[in-house]
Amino acid sequence: MNLLWRASLRYLGRHPWQMALSILGIALGVAVVVAVDLANESARRAFDLSMQTVTGQATHQIVAGPKGLDENLYVKLRRSGRLPASAPIIEGHLAYAGQTLRLLGIAPFAESRFRDLLSHLPDEAEEGVLRQLMTQPGAVLMSLERAQGFDLSVGQSFELRHSGQKRQAVLAGRFEPPAEQKAVMRDLLVADISTAQELLGRVGWLSRIDLILPDADAAELDAIRELLPPGARLIPAAARGTAMQKMTHAFSINLTAMSLLALVVGLFLIYNTLSFSVLQRRELMGRLRVLGATRSDLFRLVLSEGLLIGTLGTLLGLLLGILLAQELVQLVTQTINDLYFVLTVRELSLTPAGIIKGVLLGVGGSLLAVVVPASEAALSPPRRVQDRSRVETGARRLMQPLAWSGVVLLILAALLLLMSKSLAAGFAALFVLILGFSLLTPLWVSLLCRCGAPLFGALFGSPGRMAVGGVQHSLSRTGVAIAALSIAVATTVGVGVMVESFRTSVQQWLESSLQADIFIAPDAPSGTGYETALNPAVVQIIESLPGVAGIRQSRPVEIQSGDEITRLTALRLPKESYAGMKFLDRPPEMVWPLFDREQAVIISESYAYHHGLHAGESLELETDQGRQPFKIAGVFRDYETGQGVIKMRMSLYRDYWADRSIHSAWLYLEPGVDIDLMMERLYRLVGEQQALHIRTSRILREASIKTFDRTFAITHVLRLLVIGVAFVGILSALMALQLERSRELAVLRAIGFTPRQLWGLVTAQTGFMGLISGLLAIPLGLVLASVLIFVVNRRSFGWSMDVVVSGSVLFEALLLALFAALLAGLYPAWRMSQTPPAQALREE
Amino acid sequence: MENNSAAAFIQLKNLTRIYHQGERQQLVLDGICGEIQRGEAVALLGRSGCGKSTLLNLIGGIDRPDAGDVVINGSCINRMDEHGRTLFRRRHIGFIYQFFNLIPTLTVVENLLLPLELNGWDLAEGRRRSMALLEEVGLAQREASYPDQLSGGEQQRVAVARALVHRPALVLADEPTGNLDAESGQQVLELLDRLVRDEQCTLIMVTHSQVVAARTDRTFSLKQGRLVSDGEMVW
Repeated sequence: MNLLWRASLRYLGRHPWQMALSILGIALGVAVVVAVDLANESARRAFDLSMQTVTGQATHQIVAGPKGLDENLYVKLRRSGRLPASAPIIEGHLAYAGQTLRLLGIAPFAESRFRDLLSHLPDEAEEGVLRQLMTQPGAVLMSLERAQGFDLSVGQSFELRHSGQKRQAVLAGRFEPPAEQKAVMRDLLVADISTAQELLGRVGWLSRIDLILPDADAAELDAIRELLPPGARLIPAAARGTAMQKMTHAFSINLTAMSLLALVVGLFLIYNTLSFSVLQRRELMGRLRVLGATRSDLFRLVLSEGLLIGTLGTLLGLLLGILLAQELVQLVTQTINDLYFVLTVRELSLTPAGIIKGVLLGVGGSLLAVVVPASEAALSPPRRVQDRSRVETGARRLMQPLAWSGVVLLILAALLLLMSKSLAAGFAALFVLILGFSLLTPLWVSLLCRCGAPLFGALFGSPGRMAVGGVQHSLSRTGVAIAALSIAVATTVGVGVMVESFRTSVQQWLESSLQADIFIAPDAPSGTGYETALNPAVVQIIESLPGVAGIRQSRPVEIQSGDEITRLTALRLPKESYAGMKFLDRPPEMVWPLFDREQAVIISESYAYHHGLHAGESLELETDQGRQPFKIAGVFRDYETGQGVIKMRMSLYRDYWADRSIHSAWLYLEPGVDIDLMMERLYRLVGEQQALHIRTSRILREASIKTFDRTFAITHVLRLLVIGVAFVGILSALMALQLERSRELAVLRAIGFTPRQLWGLVTAQTGFMGLISGLLAIPLGLVLASVLIFVVNRRSFGWSMDVVVSGSVLFEALLLALFAALLAGLYPAWRMSQTPPAQALREE
Repeated sequence: MENNSAAAFIQLKNLTRIYHQGERQQLVLDGICGEIQRGEAVALLGRSGCGKSTLLNLIGGIDRPDAGDVVINGSCINRMDEHGRTLFRRRHIGFIYQFFNLIPTLTVVENLLLPLELNGWDLAEGRRRSMALLEEVGLAQREASYPDQLSGGEQQRVAVARALVHRPALVLADEPTGNLDAESGQQVLELLDRLVRDEQCTLIMVTHSQVVAARTDRTFSLKQGRLVSDGEMVW
């Protein structure tokens, strides 16, 4: 090892806290990125594996509308002799002991070419199990792990629930999937197709027919299509997976952007620390230059330090990231289940790509952050190297060009927002905006110092003026630390205002759309709403109840067309419910007649945004009668899904789809009818028929808001992590700053400052920095909130919302910055007040 | 400084250096000329702020003149680029400072090895040379100590050894005894005197002290930006 490098390592070794904080800063940044990436990737991989498990070797699928395919179609197709390999499938979800299980109904003898589900049974039991599966009512197979978890033995009967109704099942056998499929198959039930139809209440119907057509050309595919009835479609097997992944795309991008923000703050930290360590060694660098070390020697030296810190931080970050991902994956899965579809993620998918991405971001980012300090070191003139005043003079001279560059970046951000409508451009603009703001920070700090000096002087006398003066005097360091803290706090303001605005808009929307008195739906696990229905007997009872002024019935379905899944809700609306719908581009009196009488639909704002549709235009939907056009009667405000939803009157839906199910009902009670008594009566009348969720609108609104809050739980966690990174950053900067001033502070001690006064001086300075950070964070936070609301949210989900800025969010931001800075300043303040002046004054 | 030989080891040609302080300009060196012969030991006297260190920095290639040339052994160093000057300094010049300027994170022997490593010396050879010089300065037993474990006098002796370790043709010493007590200062001067002559180096030493200056071959003073030799203006 050469002596320059040895000297550098020993320097780092002699400043362990500085080294540790840098490593911690980059580690936290990398950890957040890796954790979010791992959580996203694990969810994606779990989804892929589960799709792969149920799709198997199938290349194509025949699918139909919400009701599915008539099973006779399978018989017809087999008899036609045109299908080389086919397997009927019925799929759905059931609940047992509070767990959601996925049931796959198969035809055992058609299965072997498609999936190896049955090959995981113990050899000695296979034949008997298959016979039992096909002959015994309710016979199902379950994974060994799940069966043991439920304490179920082979031959034991147990009660499943589907759509709130009890279903008797018998455990015919337990399969033991190979390690790589264990997680995916843990919650899988396998049954013969007729058993599965009974358990899911869909006797005579199939979810799809799987086909293996590896080399089929267009003519062959067309020949098969000709055999299909209207409404049935032949699609590539991967299409559904792609369509479902598309639904969560915006959600994943949002998480990734948030995690990158943590890394940006981490990079600020690296820059600050290494830049400081170069300045601290300015004299040493000068000595090395005198001895003949070239500029490139010093540049390489500092770059190597950055590489070392970056590598150590990245390694630690990867470990922390994996730990953090274990928690985040639960939040991500919960959100996907709440908003999109049923997904169980039990294991983290550690992929080389994810790790490499973390390494590149951590090490690459560190090198990028260290280029400026390395150049600073390389440009040091020999011996007379930059003394503090020279550096600060340089920094002050740079202040204006930096501010102008900041203005240019702000203009660039605005142009990016105006010129591109993509989500990626929205995020790019967000980052450019943050960078532009940070370049303006030194100027703002300088201006605020000028205003703050008289104020602090009046409040604390000379120490107050010195505290403020110290911030301005060390602008090259304080500017960066304040920028880092401002960005972190601004993030909390931006996200806070966005979430509050969103929450308020959702609350208002829930208030107006949930005006019915009682809500009734089957008791079913989250994410399975599309496959559950009210028992017709229950519907009949509800319809004949006295005291009910009107009933709103709904049937949500998913319609797949190509690689897109469209959410459609069929509605039977009483007049009482009309007022709950807020139309955005047409008056209600124009929309409702069209909706009630024409071949027309209403679409949500998200759907309209994503598809570029407006009231008065029309759209086409795949129906059981083939592709049909529907007029758009109006666009309504809705926060139900980010992909958007189409609403259609029930009678029109039933004209085009062979589906008579009702998923849920809202009851509007006659005036004077007691809600609690009515609910008791409902439980009494329908309790035997089906397990139901019967809720008042108020409870439902509260539950919806709870789901909303749960959805944003991950955002709050990321927000806290960004603050954590910034806190480490400001702690590191303040420590460095105060220790660098140790001589100056020692002189103060020597001339009569008490340790307490010194402590007060350092604390006043850190407090002032926190105050400035908080003040600067507020405008930036509000701009970030606007971009998040009007650009990111709009482009991700198509939602518009009213901006709500509460004083408490802004006040909290100010307090947060102040508190973080004061907390970070505690140790340096204590340390400086305890250092004997003689020690600090010693020259060498 | 003498101005009588075309083959002089160091030639200063009309050296001018101006410091800019905002709008104000301060002329520190006002067209200095002179020559120093190889192996000569020269003292440079003058009041604080008169430009002694500035002149030393110009000769050492650490700073560049606003006008004029510094020619050392036929090479005009101020016409070299930054990299060229660094390599010239690395090979041909040794520096000694008032505040020692040792590298605090390297041991005594490593401080000596550093210039050798930068000059591409063989490590074993470099170590032999360093230990020999440490022996000369009486600090061979302290080879593994760090600078902050030595007294001021010891540190300066290490600095002298470091300045000479790579066999430079020129040693520049900026008040080498300014931070030492009389006894330590005397020791360092004797050492410097002996080693410079043994190694046949040229020495330029900035000092405040007439006593220190008396040990050298010639003495010059800087007054109002001009060089004065033994009371007479040289240029």
